[in-house]
Amino acid sequence: MRLLSRKHTEILVKILCIVVTIVVISPLLWIIGKVIYTGLPAWNWNFFTTIIGPPESSTSGIGPAIEGTFIMNGIACLFGIPLGIFTGIYLAEYAHDSIFASVIRTAVESMAGVPSLIMGLFAAALIVENLNRNQPTALAGSFALGLMIIPLVARATEESMRVVSNDIREAAIALGIPKWRRTLQIVVGIASGGIISGALLAFARISGETAPLLFTAYFNDFWPTGVNQAMASLQVYIYNNALQPYSAAIANAWGAALLLILIVLGINIIVRIFIRPKYQEGF
Amino acid sequence: METKLDVQNLNAWFHKKQALKNINIKIPEKQVTAIIGPSGCGKSTFVRCINRMHELSPGARVEGSIVMDGLDIYGGIDAMDVRRRIGMVFQKPNPFPNMSVADNVVAGLRLAGGYKNEELDRITDDNLKEVGLWGEVKDELYKSGASLSGGQQQRLCIARALAMKPEVLLMDEPTSALDPLSTAKIEELVKKLKVDNTIVIVTHNVQQAARISDMVAFFYLGELIEFDETRVIFEKPTNQLTERYITGRFG
Repeated sequence: MRLLSRKHTEILVKILCIVVTIVVISPLLWIIGKVIYTGLPAWNWNFFTTIIGPPESSTSGIGPAIEGTFIMNGIACLFGIPLGIFTGIYLAEYAHDSIFASVIRTAVESMAGVPSLIMGLFAAALIVENLNRNQPTALAGSFALGLMIIPLVARATEESMRVVSNDIREAAIALGIPKWRRTLQIVVGIASGGIISGALLAFARISGETAPLLFTAYFNDFWPTGVNQAMASLQVYIYNNALQPYSAAIANAWGAALLLILIVLGINIIVRIFIRPKYQEGF
Repeated sequence: METKLDVQNLNAWFHKKQALKNINIKIPEKQVTAIIGPSGCGKSTFVRCINRMHELSPGARVEGSIVMDGLDIYGGIDAMDVRRRIGMVFQKPNPFPNMSVADNVVAGLRLAGGYKNEELDRITDDNLKEVGLWGEVKDELYKSGASLSGGQQQRLCIARALAMKPEVLLMDEPTSALDPLSTAKIEELVKKLKVDNTIVIVTHNVQQAARISDMVAFFYLGELIEFDETRVIFEKPTNQLTERYITGRFG
């Protein structure tokens, strides 16, 4: 006789899967719980609106770091997203199976795998050292972050265009619509949900990258007055404060970490709830 | 009967495989010509040669000529111009899912440019009425084209093709994905449309060819076996293969 009936095996496998899933997501819940618990006490209006004071001061804020993160991410997206989208369009609609295309595809894959520290070093060598007479600049930080966005957006664009049914392309061909219009106004239109999701997730991804900013934008306690200067960011703020011996600095680092994790989680939730389902209709 | 499309020595290949062998056929104007034959006989390839879509398949090649109103569509004119003059409806309804019902109808015209919005609105209404969809969708003009039922989507696709004012309408098994009621509506529509349009319809359904066509072309293994009036094909076919196919003895 068999030790377990088929029905029992069924239940056992299901329980195993549930237990493993709980084990896998528990670190995430733990991290979020810990960050909220430790970070929330640092939050008050002053914390978000004042400049970054001396690390031992409990009244210093993270205002310039918040602004810096959004400015540098914004500039990175401004050039990284369009370049990524056009690369993705090329790979999905024009590349076919040529040798050149497979070289580009491999290059995009490899670019996604380059450590962010190397991107930071490259941007520092190219822009800070050569073009900016060794002065730190937010533009170099944005450049490094933008390089990281390109492969993420390119891949999201290519994948969401490839799932557009060929019947749709044929419909457009049969109407005598030229290829560039078919591609940009019909296929990209249908794939736009996936492309927007990819761009937002890329934004979330670079929001947590510290290494590309360490030797490029460096840090600045004060409000940004331009983009060609050292600039604070939440990431580098957390990194700097976590290394301080003062408990006030550590507490503020947790406060900044809570904001950062909420930004990243918020974007993921927006993508999941609002964008994906809306665009998944009609495929 | 005036000839609309004069197909001369048409050959087509996919890589090394010859899909059409020396086809010669004169398709009459403002009539319904049905293309019948067993799967793989080249009937879809034939209509895809007429609007120059065959050449887009990998490894595809075409030889010969198709003369429309004295002009060879393979004689150095732009394929896009050919496709604007020769519309096509596919087996599976394929409205643009990112566009509303109304925008689907005028998608070809809008992307060509040069039309005013009021003009496009009028063309939308006219063509939805033409395909009998107006009464069903007039309150849903701004919903996605993909939200309609399969039969409605197919009539929307016909309206989209008609909005371009094509001289010839190609239909590649337009009812094979539809239920009997939607099929009947499309068949009625085809009979109505032939008053102003030349229609070439591929069908795997012999009874459908008998119901709606004026002329029938029977293809077998890439060759045109017989082409004649529908009545003649169904009552007194000259070729034995044709007779066996229409009586359902193979296919």
